[in-house]
Amino acid sequence: MTRTAIKIESLRKRFGANEVLRGIDLEARDGDVISLIGASGSGKSTLLRCIPMLEVPDAGTVTVGEDSITADGRLGRVQQDTARRMRRHLGFVFQNFNLWPHRTVLQNVIEAPLHVQKRPRAEAVDEAMALLEKVGLTEKRDAWPVHLSGGQQQRVAIARALAQHPRAILFDEPTSALDPELVGEVLKVIRSLADEGRTMIIVTHEMGFARDVSSRTVFLHQGLVEEDGTPEQVFGNPASDRCRAFIGSHFTRNR
Amino acid sequence: MQADLTLLGFGPEGWGHVLLRAGLMTLAVSVCAFALGLVLGTLVAWARIAGGRMTRALAEGYTVVLRGVPDLLVIYLFYFGGRQVVTTIGTALGFEGPFDISGFVAGMLAIGLISGASQSEVLRGAYQAIPRGTIEAGRVVGMTRWTLFRRVIAPQAMTTAIPGMGNQWQSVIKESALVSVTGLVETMRQVSVAAGSTQEHFLFYAAGAGIYLAITTLSDILFRIAEKRSLRGHVQGGV
Amino acid sequence: MDIPFLRDILGQLLVGLPLTLNLAVLSLLGGGGLALILNLLRLSRVGSVFASAYVFVFRGTPLLIQIFMIYYGLASFGFVRQSVLWPFLREPYWCGLLALVLNDAAYTSEILRGGLRAVPKGAVEAGRVSGMTRATVLRRVILPIAARQALPAYGNEVISMLKATALVSTITLMEVTGIARAEVSSTYRAVEIFLCAAAIYLALSLVITRAIGWLERWLSPYNFGKTQ
Repeated sequence: MTRTAIKIESLRKRFGANEVLRGIDLEARDGDVISLIGASGSGKSTLLRCIPMLEVPDAGTVTVGEDSITADGRLGRVQQDTARRMRRHLGFVFQNFNLWPHRTVLQNVIEAPLHVQKRPRAEAVDEAMALLEKVGLTEKRDAWPVHLSGGQQQRVAIARALAQHPRAILFDEPTSALDPELVGEVLKVIRSLADEGRTMIIVTHEMGFARDVSSRTVFLHQGLVEEDGTPEQVFGNPASDRCRAFIGSHFTRNR
Repeated sequence: MQADLTLLGFGPEGWGHVLLRAGLMTLAVSVCAFALGLVLGTLVAWARIAGGRMTRALAEGYTVVLRGVPDLLVIYLFYFGGRQVVTTIGTALGFEGPFDISGFVAGMLAIGLISGASQSEVLRGAYQAIPRGTIEAGRVVGMTRWTLFRRVIAPQAMTTAIPGMGNQWQSVIKESALVSVTGLVETMRQVSVAAGSTQEHFLFYAAGAGIYLAITTLSDILFRIAEKRSLRGHVQGGV
Repeated sequence: MDIPFLRDILGQLLVGLPLTLNLAVLSLLGGGGLALILNLLRLSRVGSVFASAYVFVFRGTPLLIQIFMIYYGLASFGFVRQSVLWPFLREPYWCGLLALVLNDAAYTSEILRGGLRAVPKGAVEAGRVSGMTRATVLRRVILPIAARQALPAYGNEVISMLKATALVSTITLMEVTGIARAEVSSTYRAVEIFLCAAAIYLALSLVITRAIGWLERWLSPYNFGKTQ
């Protein structure tokens, strides 16, 4: 029986008068690759960001491994420590890469292992080089982020997330900020991670990729889970009309 | 210790009148110095943008020198040095001493020269911020260089330059206080004299500070208005 | 060109150099520390008002008046003369240094504020999401990036402070400008003496500019065309 990596229960979040998440239940077991799809404003990114507490939910519980937080809009001191512990087991890849501009590629990848997880330098560097090889950027180890293309920066960001030995990796629209010709190289890396059996939650607009790579697809509409099933079910025969309409308008590729 | 605020007033015991006059003198010196700085700054910026190697080197040298030397020293140089020069020339020509040079003139020249160096930096930056395309568009419709400057370059440069110029104006106002060492009766000197005469040091230096704050605050407001008006028609936010 | 005279004068002026450097360095250190405090104050509402008022006053008035205010103005208060600080506050050196520190703090705090504002939010988020504590994010992400952004403006401030030290000559301190002024009073050779003094300051500011440029290139090589 596979264990639960991430569990979300009755999650609610509002920004001002706008209730973006209206009670989300979601579970990711080890090895799941979950694609999160939906229209803009459906709450997908907010949901993802709530997991490592980048946004603090107004209600509900987030559990990562053994740690759990039931939030009410603010995090108390103890909860902040728990959140930090949870973050160390989560890798997060941002839409805008968010590499540290004042560090080289290698320094970006070893930053968290050295300064958060306190691993020895030699070990961190060796591992970082292996990760850079995995994403195909060994020769850029001493390059500065500002000199890399968007696709290269995102691949470094993925290596950086992997360096933490995360229980699960969260991707927040990883290719939305990339020029079309650079999207492929990033999707290739994510696909290889899925093949390795990594646990991942991916918020994406790339429908074909979502269908091919994920083991489960969740369709969000106005802050609620409308559809949750295998890609075949959700893309091929969705129960909800809204989901059907969304897929129809966004998915123009021939099956 | 009771501070006697009537000392600041306009009555018979009051220094209000003379302080006001001194404030106007501060403005006078500052305006003249700033104007001189504007002329010099424009010339130097132009030299650095469009000049030949020699001109550019000289312009850069001027900027480096005047930004690397204390303002007080430049004022001393112009005032005492100027007096020395005038004396030498005068006695050589056979005139009788004593020779003197106006504190106003010395101060204005000194501050103007210094300000010119800083203003040239502001203007150069403003020029470089103009999108090349607008200049090309002007050339391609056949504008002369003067028209191009007048209708395309200057208006756009002004928008970028206004905040920097505002800072320069503020600097000039504050530097004018240094001209007090020449004996010119502007705000700083007047306030010193009043303080010494009445022994109410704190009161008068505070009053002096108040006068400068009033001038700088008013200037700040005026420059902000100017900036807003020059931004009419521009896209707000980053480029 | 009276070379012996110039050499003699240079020697005289250089006697004031230690004091000039002493005032410049200490005022930058003190001003820098105070600037950090001012920026911390900005985290609270009341503190923010105080910090803004402080910056407004010290940037809106001439340094000369600030110096005179501290040297002459404070002395006119009885409670100051009787306080434990009086042995310091009646010395021109401490008054001058205090004025320079307070003045520098105002400008430096604004430079620091600008540097902090220029830190990309994304870089901070990336730090938080990898499990860094607030202190670690400050130490490894925010401050290093802010410092790099603020360096050019701070370089200008360093040179400004060097030039500002000349103003303490007006309250009898014998740094380079003070000595120059005194020499001119006795020899009347103003042009040569003041030009000599100017040369000393110019040399110092050129060295400082070089050093700052070197520091910029060392911290942010990527800003200067290097790719590796």
